[in-house]
Amino acid sequence: MMTSSSLNSDDPCFDGDGKWATKLLRECARAINDRDSSKIQHLLWMLNELASPYGDSQQKLASYFLQALFCKATQTGQRFYMNLKSASEKNQSFDSARKMILKFQEVSPWTTFGHVASNGAILEAFLEAGGEKNKKKKLHIIDISNNTSTLCTQWPTFLESLATKSSDHVETPQLKLTIVLVKESLKGSVMNEICQRMEKFARLMRVPFEINMINGVEHLWKVTKEELGIVVEEEDDDDDDDDDAFIAVNCVGGLRRVEEGERDNVIGMLKSLSPRIVTTVEEESGGSDDSCITRNDDDDFVKCFEECLWFYKIYFEMLEESFPTISNEKLMLERECSRNILGDLGCNNDNNSDHNKRERGVEWSMRFREYFTPIGLNDDVVDDVRALLKRYNRSGWSLMLPSSKVEGIYLKWRDQPVLWASAWKP
Amino acid sequence: MDDGEVSNAAFPLHHNNQTHHPTSNNPPPLKRKRNLPGNPDPEAEVIALSPKTLMATNRFVCEICLKGFQRDQNLQLHRRGHNLPWKLKQRTTKEVRKRVYVCPEKSCVHNHPSRALGDLTGIKKHFCRKHGEKKWKCDKCSKRYAVQSDWKAHSKTCGTREYKCDCGTIFSRRDSFITHRAFCDALAEETARVNAASTINHTLLGANNIAYTLMQQQNHHPLVPNNMSTHFSSIFKPISSSTTDEISSNSQTSSRPLSLWNMGHHPHDTTTIMPITHNNLHDIHHQIGFATNPPPPSIWMFGNKHPSNGSQQEIITSTTSANSLPLMNIVKNNNNNNNSNNNNNNNHVANQLVSVPSLYSTQHQSHDHDQTTTTSSSAANMSATALLQKAAQIGSTSSTDPSSFLGSIGLKCSNNNNQGQDGNNKFCGIYSSSWSEPESSTGDLTQMPPTKRMRVQNEDGSAGGQTRDFLGVGVQTICHPSSITGWI
Repeated sequence: MMTSSSLNSDDPCFDGDGKWATKLLRECARAINDRDSSKIQHLLWMLNELASPYGDSQQKLASYFLQALFCKATQTGQRFYMNLKSASEKNQSFDSARKMILKFQEVSPWTTFGHVASNGAILEAFLEAGGEKNKKKKLHIIDISNNTSTLCTQWPTFLESLATKSSDHVETPQLKLTIVLVKESLKGSVMNEICQRMEKFARLMRVPFEINMINGVEHLWKVTKEELGIVVEEEDDDDDDDDDAFIAVNCVGGLRRVEEGERDNVIGMLKSLSPRIVTTVEEESGGSDDSCITRNDDDDFVKCFEECLWFYKIYFEMLEESFPTISNEKLMLERECSRNILGDLGCNNDNNSDHNKRERGVEWSMRFREYFTPIGLNDDVVDDVRALLKRYNRSGWSLMLPSSKVEGIYLKWRDQPVLWASAWKP
Repeated sequence: MDDGEVSNAAFPLHHNNQTHHPTSNNPPPLKRKRNLPGNPDPEAEVIALSPKTLMATNRFVCEICLKGFQRDQNLQLHRRGHNLPWKLKQRTTKEVRKRVYVCPEKSCVHNHPSRALGDLTGIKKHFCRKHGEKKWKCDKCSKRYAVQSDWKAHSKTCGTREYKCDCGTIFSRRDSFITHRAFCDALAEETARVNAASTINHTLLGANNIAYTLMQQQNHHPLVPNNMSTHFSSIFKPISSSTTDEISSNSQTSSRPLSLWNMGHHPHDTTTIMPITHNNLHDIHHQIGFATNPPPPSIWMFGNKHPSNGSQQEIITSTTSANSLPLMNIVKNNNNNNNSNNNNNNNHVANQLVSVPSLYSTQHQSHDHDQTTTTSSSAANMSATALLQKAAQIGSTSSTDPSSFLGSIGLKCSNNNNQGQDGNNKFCGIYSSSWSEPESSTGDLTQMPPTKRMRVQNEDGSAGGQTRDFLGVGVQTICHPSSITGWI
């Protein structure tokens, strides 16, 4: 309990493992929950004194969470969040975003883990469909990932893999990629750049390719087959779906962005598209068994806070370890994080559905099981993921394979599961 | 026919193929350099083995003790040990005809006698590679092989190979190379799948779409390093330079709140946030009693303070899109949904830039189609394993006379031209020829004599040593923004 208002080394927060920020932040969150304003102010002041976005990981943690807590306390979160968001969108350029994500992928398998797993699963399912004689010729992938983050970097390696593995086919399969962007999350110019480049690259790979971007989708669960360009030929029954496209749905980080109440509906919508495979990758939640139910309920604020703290602590540490000490890209990612933290914690109303709580893999699995059955990732794909992790010099990355209770695979950093990837079929 | 062999007499020539051996007088010696595999000696004896026999490891069996050997030579060596009477020691004197083997897999192209392979080991490997299970796996990159020797050979080089992108960056990892390549500005048009084996990118293939190469040429990468340096220079600017005037009145007490709220924000934020919430902050901070510490001098402000580069970048980026968009509309027929985006951007960018881009692109539409047809046939012969070599662009310039075209527009060459190397920048040459009043600003241009056409064509031939493509970008050089930006 903080009683003095001055900072000295006798303060209990400096005891122990030196995780002063964690302790202070926790105290503050509790104080907010208890509406103890003098304590809130005191703690905020202390944090402000010690925090710095350019310091060590504790200082950074303090800085980014401080902002969110402040907003929560003053109920200004919404406004700040909107400002931040519009500022970043204004500054967003294809070049800067590209640089950031490519550098991130170079130093850390955080994003590529999901890509490798998903690509492998989709390709495997596609190439096996129809059997030896009757190979499928058209592949249509619906991508509902969080493409603002990933910028479609999943697809070049997929194109290359498709080209290589189908080299013994009579003709290279055609790939159609439909990217669904929720609520216009990418600037038009950026989208354009991406489309162009994908097309050119597909030409390089000699894969017949088509890409469509559907921008500004308001409610993901309301999307229809027609809107996605899925063509269903129902009249020709004698055509034993030789010409039908093989439909795959890919969702990297996209489900989390859906409001909690609508997540089941989204999965139901996916089912209505009749996909042959659905791949999903999500950040793993650190929540305890009784994860927070709603955001608004103040009693659960502390729980949500704890989960966020757990996750972002790992994330910041990971960034710190992976990037060189001074790195623009790292800073950009951290800033993005700070926005996300603000969104996760500082905003009160749940109209702001850009940010939503993480769930654990088992929780997502339960949702999926309502509509789909799990597909195990086969050995080749797992080997690919292993080989991927080996390529990153920093130790700390490991792979956790499904046990009997758990579907999908987990990426672990320093033994903490941080990402979950899985594949499903109807 | 599960066991045993079937041998045919000399098979009829040109059964289905009209492509090779027009005469049987000159059977191509098989020991020559490698052509398409499976162009066997017409006089040879064709053997068709079943898969089981083919993969049997010990095909040569000693008749005395029935011991099996992989190779005939080994069998002979072994037979000597049996002390055979002289008569039996000799092999059958019947002259062994040259044997070629067909692949037992029916759907395989080598199943037909005219495409038989001459070497038993060869056919075994072929069968495994194409039709067999890939049991050997590299643990570094998890590539799989059916033939053990292939796998061994790969393991030796795996991870040691480097991949080089057109823009000059080198990668040791294939996946990062691929992703980078797809997003790289230097992505040139390719029509064939090429090997990733070479690190030097020198294939001479026709570009699928000449206009694309013209348009997409520019390598922004001078900007990329520039960006970095700009970033760093702006990084060390003191934070106060970015603050707004509105705050200055409260500079003492609000410097702290400023740093509190602007850490991690762009300075743009200050203008929007501060006026709105300043009162709140001010009050609260008074209560909390913030100390007025000046922000540390090494605060980084990056990503925002590069006005000149930023705008330049902006323009060039939109140039790219502007230039390619009209082409995109034309070239890709299937992309219905994108057209709306394209059209929007078309209009948007056209407003920003001179309308030359669209004019230029329309001029080259015909070239698109011509080039497309010619290069697609040449592409058909390329083999099909993975990636990425650079295709040098077609060496010919456009056949129309740009000088009159540009003269009619009255185009002025901007300073951007200066950045290119004058000798290599043929576009610069083309455009400068058309000026009625040459812009005197750039030194390069004044050097160009009026008879530009001639010089350009000379450069075509003589510059071959330096540059392969006619856009002035050598293979090894870090790109310079030649050509396209030159005429903006």
